[in-house]
Amino acid sequence: MNLLTGLILVVVLFALLRVFRPANPLLTAILPGLVAVGLLAAYHQDLLRLEFWAGAVGFVAILSALLIVMHPNPMVSVLFLILNLFCIALFYLMLRAEVLAALQVIVYAGAIMVLFVFVIMLLNLPAEEGLGAGGGIQRWAAVLLGSGFAALLVFVLRHRLGRPYFEPGSFVQEFGSARDLGMLLFGRYLFAFEAASVLLVAAMVGAVILAKRRLQ
Amino acid sequence: MPVDFFLVIAALLFTIGSVGVLIRRNAIVMLMCVELMLNAVNLTFVAFAQEGQRMTGHVFAFFVMTVAAAEAAVGLAIVIALFRRRRTTDVDNASLMRW
Repeated sequence: MNLLTGLILVVVLFALLRVFRPANPLLTAILPGLVAVGLLAAYHQDLLRLEFWAGAVGFVAILSALLIVMHPNPMVSVLFLILNLFCIALFYLMLRAEVLAALQVIVYAGAIMVLFVFVIMLLNLPAEEGLGAGGGIQRWAAVLLGSGFAALLVFVLRHRLGRPYFEPGSFVQEFGSARDLGMLLFGRYLFAFEAASVLLVAAMVGAVILAKRRLQ
Repeated sequence: MPVDFFLVIAALLFTIGSVGVLIRRNAIVMLMCVELMLNAVNLTFVAFAQEGQRMTGHVFAFFVMTVAAAEAAVGLAIVIALFRRRRTTDVDNASLMRW
């Protein structure tokens, strides 16, 4: 029993109260809040451990991914996707990919997600009933096969599980810095870099033509 | 701090994204699930880059981000064109090439 499992159980408790006691907002807010404060007071030494933060960010990432898929309103899905992207940026920081973490926040959460938000507001989509018109059998098959796929992936990783591969702090000095990434991009991967710029121009022209009202 | 932790998280995120593409019929949400899958793959790249202490994984993640930006722009333009013709973003209404 540590702080992370306690807080995860608190979130589960909150979700259950929201589902089964929706008429009593005071209970749903106050009871999990008090339990969370109690847990923080009891296990406050966990707050200084990196494992706790990695686990908490991972939990938030998985939860927000599930909510992207399950929420009927696309606008809420986009907001949870932004939360998920921030969680992955934190993972990049833990893995010492500082340039990618900055790019994730600026390019992904900042530019691409603005595009999504803009299109959803432009189309003014209503929230769907349920999860849309897809048939029941396809949904259950997808969930079943998805669980099997996740189990397969974890099975493949099983012989590696729990083995510590790096200690935070034992790093090559320049690893993940903007300087080294730039040297690679403008050195060995120069052709791919230029090809990516051509791809971006092509995508921009294509997007403008596709979204245009009339081609003339 | 085990690298496997990040690999497992990335595997779960990828699975959630693929299931989302399969069960949702709203084109914008399907695009968001594709972004989720791309991010999971990026996380795997960066985790393996950390394990091997080589930055090639970072370069690949960078290019995946570029492709994701292009894909989002074109995909959303297609969604807008679809919405203009059919007044919906439900992909079941774009069934001309379905067999």
